[in-house]
Amino acid sequence: MDQYKELMDHNKKLDRQQDIVPPSGQFTQVWVDDQKVDAVLGENILSVLFAIGKNAITQNDHAKITGAYCGMGVCHCCNVQVNGQHKQKACQTLIEPGMRINTQKNRLEEGF
Amino acid sequence: MAQFSPVVIVGAGTAGISAAVELAQAGIHSIVLDEAPKIGGAVFRGPYREAIELPHLDAKLRKKISNIRQQYHDHQAFIELRLNTRVLGPAGPNSLLVRHKEEVSDLAYDQLIIATGCHERSVPFDGWQIPGVMLLGGVQLQLKSGLVKPGQRMAVVGTGPLLPLVACQLHKAGVEVLGVYEAGKFSDFAKESRALLNRPVLALEGMGMLSYLKANSIPMHYGQGIVSASGDESLNKAHFAKYDDAWYPIEGTGTSLELDCLAVGYGFVSRNQLSQLFQLEHDVCPISGLKPQVNDWQQSSQENIYIAGDSVGILGGEGAMVEGRLAALSIAKNRNQLVEKDVNKKADDYFTLLHKVKSFRSGFDRIGRRREGLLSLLAPNTIVCRCENVTRAAIDEVIEQGVKDITSLKMRTRVGMGDCQGKTCNSYCQDRLGFELKNPDVGHVKPRFPLDPIPFSALFDGVQL
Repeated sequence: MDQYKELMDHNKKLDRQQDIVPPSGQFTQVWVDDQKVDAVLGENILSVLFAIGKNAITQNDHAKITGAYCGMGVCHCCNVQVNGQHKQKACQTLIEPGMRINTQKNRLEEGF
Repeated sequence: MAQFSPVVIVGAGTAGISAAVELAQAGIHSIVLDEAPKIGGAVFRGPYREAIELPHLDAKLRKKISNIRQQYHDHQAFIELRLNTRVLGPAGPNSLLVRHKEEVSDLAYDQLIIATGCHERSVPFDGWQIPGVMLLGGVQLQLKSGLVKPGQRMAVVGTGPLLPLVACQLHKAGVEVLGVYEAGKFSDFAKESRALLNRPVLALEGMGMLSYLKANSIPMHYGQGIVSASGDESLNKAHFAKYDDAWYPIEGTGTSLELDCLAVGYGFVSRNQLSQLFQLEHDVCPISGLKPQVNDWQQSSQENIYIAGDSVGILGGEGAMVEGRLAALSIAKNRNQLVEKDVNKKADDYFTLLHKVKSFRSGFDRIGRRREGLLSLLAPNTIVCRCENVTRAAIDEVIEQGVKDITSLKMRTRVGMGDCQGKTCNSYCQDRLGFELKNPDVGHVKPRFPLDPIPFSALFDGVQL
């Protein structure tokens, strides 16, 4: 139980209020919109975003903001920019140490 | 004996893994592909990351998740797993084009099993595109695989057995669950009790969930459904009402809830885009639009292609397990790895179980048969096609101009031409056009190669542009 409590305290520091169970396993860090966030190896980008309470995730090709909808790689409504690459599915991409994740970014904003 | 290459199985869910295990038991190698990073499919994939405990998932589900992993583990000498791998379509005769990360390659097979499962039916309503409105199964995936709460105050709306289950899981996960809205009437469930008793244990589990909801003061509203959702940057309100027999919201019966996430589940449609690309024979299906033709052994109109699980018809996990195993047995027989007598002996039990599963399912299918009232939930400016930003008004306009089939509707409005290839909006478009023309036969949107977008970098590997 001590271990559990310790993890819960750690959890608070991470600013991950939406975890159902305290994160455990191999911790790492990723960047979400230029902010450092703790993440656990094995989880996908979408769970990191939900863990920190972010649900307005994608700017689609028509400048509309969408959030995760199907959660299983079908709808393309949780696309994020990962390490500079646009339109990566947050729900289907596992996090990697140091990953730079940007939400609400669209290639069309950058012009040609 | 002829040398065969490994059986290729698309989908590492219940049907795919069951098929691979049955093949392994007959001494046959297989290659199993899945777009996800873990096996188990949407239902039994389990947590992505480690967890000390899973208080929100019941013991039976945890057991099934570990079972499927164990089964794979026990037979992995025969099963080559290729995860994070997407099938883009056929690549000539007896070959698939697959993508793993930035790499696109061919994969040849002698026999193929398509076990691609299903995705959820989208029912568009005013405000459905606001962040925080999610599909029911998508919400469940966050609980089961992501181990995160997609919201703090939530409601569950739609129809079917998944509604009370997800409501219980959300509550156990620590989410405040404000209510469950089931479009079917309570009397409809009573009428189907005989069908539902084909799987008495499942029926009892359902009752257990309902009493859990009651004990935790989570109201279960029968005969009610979604009307609209609102919020600026993300969801903060959802509006519900009683539905009449055709599922039109009844005026003056509305209620509103303040919430930050809404789970919407009006059923599932088969993912049969791959079987369509193979130009296999299909029947028209009231649930999924099209249904690939298969015989009792899940063999399609092309003798070396089998289709099992929800991709051939929505039956859920048990049905998928049985169909995967039947496909495998048939392949083992055709390869002379098993003799007919042994195959039939094994298959008999599977056929019996499959029959019961189908009878059980048909009860829910009748209750949850979607009604025309669901088409009335869109305002003129409600977006139908999220990818291409097509509104209901744009669809109204071309219907008024006399569009008679789904392909013309697509060409005229760009509906279904975006990144998701219409998987999200097609159900509405198909139903709407059929309703307006008073003829359900409006044709079908043909899936296009590649089945999922690929970056140019994957196509021009090594070519300097």
